[in-house]
Amino acid sequence: MRGWTRESTMSEEAGVGTSRRRAVWREIGVFAGRNRVSAAGGAVALLIVLVALGAPLAAPENPLKTDFRRLARPPDGANYFGTDQVGRDTLSRVIYGARTSIFVAVAAVVLGTTVGSLWGLASGYLGGRFDLISQRLMEVLQSFPDLILAMAISMAIGTGMGAVIVAIAVTRVPFGGRVIRSMALSVKEQAYIEASRSTGASHVRIMALHVLPQCLASYLVLATTHLGVAVVIEAALGFLGVGVPPPTPTWGNMLADSLTSLVPHWWLVLFPGLAITVTVLAFNLFGDGIRDTLDPRVYAGVLRAMAGSRRGPTR
Amino acid sequence: MLRYLCRRLIFGLPTLFGISLIIFVVLRVLPGDPLVAMFGAEGFRKLAPGDRARIMSDLGLSDPLPIQYVRWMKDIATGSLGRSFFRGDRVSELILHRGPLTVEIGLLSVLISWIVGLPVGITSAVRPGGLVDGVARSLSVLFLAVPGFWLGMLIVLASLFWFHYKAPLVVVHVWEDPWANFQLVIGPAVVLGLGQGAYIARMTRSCLLEVVHEDYVRTARAKGLAEQLVVIRHALPNALLPVVTVSGVLMGFVLGGSVAVEQAFGVPGLGTALVKAIVERDIVVVQNLVLLYGVIFLMVNILVDLSYAWLDPRIHYE
Repeated sequence: MRGWTRESTMSEEAGVGTSRRRAVWREIGVFAGRNRVSAAGGAVALLIVLVALGAPLAAPENPLKTDFRRLARPPDGANYFGTDQVGRDTLSRVIYGARTSIFVAVAAVVLGTTVGSLWGLASGYLGGRFDLISQRLMEVLQSFPDLILAMAISMAIGTGMGAVIVAIAVTRVPFGGRVIRSMALSVKEQAYIEASRSTGASHVRIMALHVLPQCLASYLVLATTHLGVAVVIEAALGFLGVGVPPPTPTWGNMLADSLTSLVPHWWLVLFPGLAITVTVLAFNLFGDGIRDTLDPRVYAGVLRAMAGSRRGPTR
Repeated sequence: MLRYLCRRLIFGLPTLFGISLIIFVVLRVLPGDPLVAMFGAEGFRKLAPGDRARIMSDLGLSDPLPIQYVRWMKDIATGSLGRSFFRGDRVSELILHRGPLTVEIGLLSVLISWIVGLPVGITSAVRPGGLVDGVARSLSVLFLAVPGFWLGMLIVLASLFWFHYKAPLVVVHVWEDPWANFQLVIGPAVVLGLGQGAYIARMTRSCLLEVVHEDYVRTARAKGLAEQLVVIRHALPNALLPVVTVSGVLMGFVLGGSVAVEQAFGVPGLGTALVKAIVERDIVVVQNLVLLYGVIFLMVNILVDLSYAWLDPRIHYE
């Protein structure tokens, strides 16, 4: 953490005038040089996000267009990933699926981590009865396996994209809450908090201006490391029939659809699953790199273990 | 130790109460009409308001919420757990019938994860940065990213393609036909086991690497002990504690993951029952099964805490 801030001030000094933009690029360059595997993961993740955003441009066909002359064809020159039982182009559905799956995952992680972090911040800083009750609530939320809690919530508030986002977000709340609470607990003992308190600053002001900035690094780590999990939960919900409802193509829905024929066609199983795996892998690798760079509380053992390898988190 | 256990169990009670309350709130208070799910949007519109009210009261859903909650608690206390909306069978019977399959899958998967994860973690820690280490770490990163249910689908598909083999898909208990039962549970157990094994291998490796720098390991080497003995007798036992914790934390992964993986293999376990109940909106079944999963997860966490004292004599619970 200290290394990170020192670095950014250095590069800001260097990049006076022409721009902060160059400083940002240098920052990315330093990160990539130190964490090559993770930078590759980040690049792949970026590519997937770009493809998802530009789905109408990237997809060869309309993902909902059925073609009854080409039902359940294996991959060939016309449809690189084959077609499904009602003649829809699998490649286009995988590309459009990225759109739904990644949007849901990102929205859910941002929502859940933000709510959890703010809650944890308040609970750690304010302490007292509020903290006690919050702790118990988080404990209860964490006593459910992720997928099962998400299934129950998604079932209860009706299937739709919003419901799925909320369902996944709720499972992320306790993680944010726990980590940020412990940060807030240690920060609030600092002398500068006492100082601003003595100048008459309100609790809200102190939380927003003095405690919150200290938690940003942990927040970023939390958000990036949970993206992969969120993608998997989204896919599992779709696979189990409680995700974003069909005909919207999502990777989970496509896998569930493949089971409607007696013997599933291999291309209908392989490609959506590969898409999930590659995306989760990319997000995980990127998240690991962010954690190694930003998280001051990585296990000593992990640090030492990594010192032997190329992607050492410290200099 | 016994006192600690009692205290943990007593402290667990409020959590249990919280768990049941959250399930109840999620399933009853949040918007969403069970009749719509039971009859479909169209069927629901065709129902006369009188019929709607009658069905709701037959299902016990028109009573005030506190009474519904107390009734649920009473069902739990008597052990019957209420009845399914659709088939009228007791939920307790459903659990006793299908639960053993899921328990077998869970236990077997933990066993597999240790059998696979420990040796892999140890060999890669012995020569960090070596070929075995590189391959093992890449594989573990890969396995952390592969969704279990997809791997399950691929295995089912491959065994069908190449061996024309399909596992039996009816509930067969181990005491009825051990071989058929084994065919039923081995697939999901392997998939879940490999997923956990990746974490176990990672954790074993990093903990061993940490322990290897301790003085007593140097002493063991200095007195001329074979490297194998140093690792297995001296370093490993001290590295195991965090690995056990990870295994406990992973129970959440197993419990949640088994739902999707059972579905992928078509195994008629508890997870499949839960999915079916959720799709049918069979509220009584869902609330009890979700509660059961929560209770099991809580129990496992207590067991993991107790296992610390057993594994590490320095830890005492008063």
